[in-house]
Amino acid sequence: MTARAMMNLRSILIGSAVFRLVLILYGEWQDAHMEVRYTDVDYLVFSDAASLMASGSSPYKRTTYRYSPLLAFLLIPNSFLHRAWGKFIFSASDLLVGYFIYKILKQRKVAEDLCLYSVMVWLLNPFTFTIGTRGNCEPIVCAMILWILICLLNGQIIQAAVWYGLVVHFRIYPIIYALPIIVVLDPRYVQLGKKPLLVNWKSNTQKPSSQSSEEASTRYNLWTAAKSMFSKERILFGLVSGGTFFLCTGLFFHLYKWEFLHEALLYHLTRADPRHNFSIYFYHIYLQYGHQLSLVEKLISFLPQSIVQLVLVSSFAQDLPFCFFLQTVAFVAFNKVITAQYFVWFFCLLPLILPWSDMKLRWEGLSCVGLWMGAQLHWLLWGYLLEFRGQNVFLQLWMASLVFLLANAAVMAVFIRRQRCSPIFLQMKVTDAKGGVKSE
Amino acid sequence: MIERLPSGVFADPFELDHLLHHGAYAAIGVFGDTNLELPSVSSNRSAVEIHMNFKHNTSSGAMSELGIRIDLPLHARYAPLHESGYSEVAFGTPDLLVSCSMEGSSEKRSCLIVPSSDSNRLRTDVVVWKIPCGIMSYTNVVSVVTFATALVSTLVIVLPSVLYSKPR
Repeated sequence: MTARAMMNLRSILIGSAVFRLVLILYGEWQDAHMEVRYTDVDYLVFSDAASLMASGSSPYKRTTYRYSPLLAFLLIPNSFLHRAWGKFIFSASDLLVGYFIYKILKQRKVAEDLCLYSVMVWLLNPFTFTIGTRGNCEPIVCAMILWILICLLNGQIIQAAVWYGLVVHFRIYPIIYALPIIVVLDPRYVQLGKKPLLVNWKSNTQKPSSQSSEEASTRYNLWTAAKSMFSKERILFGLVSGGTFFLCTGLFFHLYKWEFLHEALLYHLTRADPRHNFSIYFYHIYLQYGHQLSLVEKLISFLPQSIVQLVLVSSFAQDLPFCFFLQTVAFVAFNKVITAQYFVWFFCLLPLILPWSDMKLRWEGLSCVGLWMGAQLHWLLWGYLLEFRGQNVFLQLWMASLVFLLANAAVMAVFIRRQRCSPIFLQMKVTDAKGGVKSE
Repeated sequence: MIERLPSGVFADPFELDHLLHHGAYAAIGVFGDTNLELPSVSSNRSAVEIHMNFKHNTSSGAMSELGIRIDLPLHARYAPLHESGYSEVAFGTPDLLVSCSMEGSSEKRSCLIVPSSDSNRLRTDVVVWKIPCGIMSYTNVVSVVTFATALVSTLVIVLPSVLYSKPR
């Protein structure tokens, strides 16, 4: 990393940190002086749960606390240091995500200016800086996901597995990354104790380098992966991540019993909220509320998500950041409940794929942004009429959610069409008995 | 004041706590079903007790009326389905308990309890809140179109994935 590059990254990070500090201070002022709070309601839930934990009680005594006890533990200093402690932690995680983005892109030899632009796509995103400063915990999850990617890029399988088990315990949705991670831990590319060879970035104007003949041989699919499924790297990753997850679950079940299991785990797996949200399913759930859904109906709602996830993994697992990004957008879009905080889950992955996109900001990029934001604003307009004006616009709101899903799908299709899919790993060379080099 | 909330309406105790810290009330408490998430059919009723302090200057000696306004933020639960698209929730009259004391002579106190059944003494209209609700006859159309849209979106994603997944 050159001194000039450090200075630029440093100035971006420092500027972003100062801005977040100002927002946190402003948030404290608004909470104290205005009836409408800046702070997210969820932050108050976390804080209350943390105080309960600090006094030796279960955090689940706080109604609507549906997170891991680890989160309440992190926020215990809210009670004796300052109530904004958690916001500082979340904003610091958000800055860490920016640094991790730079680190990942530099490791893949992306040009300096593109690295910095990508970092700014995260740090200057209004969703990003409001989410941490309002007290939402998603930046911590994003930082953990990116750290897992860094560990995988460095061949640190055990460390990646530990963090992966922890992040699935914390937030469940990263379970969707299990399959592509297992697929990418092919022993031809990742071996225990060895640093894997990475495919370097090249711009769309560069001629193919000598890496390209090796890239062609790295193409594999689920069938190839299935044949070598039981490699020691994959088994180790599965055992360590599964062990970490069950250790955390077991520990907190021992401490907090069925309340923990129900609120932190089962609630999220069975959640079907009839209240309006961005999901296309909300009105269907409301109209059917109280009725037992048939097996066919349950399957139908489960199928689109499953099919999309499987096809994305099968098509893009080798380009792990791009696969993660598409999977996350699809997971959020097809979920039974969608809230705005979920968008951060894929916003942190977007900067990792932009250097490989042929999409220009004008006008393709701006059209995607406009379509996605427009569909969202359209939904919010009907939401406002329902919530604050009390008008019966359920049908229009539901149709707006259909438009939002279609907009998400269309944007995904554009990304797929314009992405220069690039595997992250090169096939490793192995030295034979005579000292020569051969490919495996 | 004790406001007995009808079924389908609730007060958020955390919101009221926030207002209490801003000095909107002297004291406030919510009793009964305080679940913030469940729809009306899965919820029970609740009541809110509000304590307020007022000063009234009668130094002129003339009779005067004291006007008191209490704002209580309420939220509607998701109502049962109805073909009209609205569910009507009627509010009863709150119970009022007033305790007075004269400045300088704490012995002279009088209490006035206003029973809610004595409507002749009250000049209140029935308050009705029309809450939007789902319409049952849309159920089949909504289900079919929801799943059709999910299917179309699946195809919009799956087809390019299969066509453009090869590294370039």
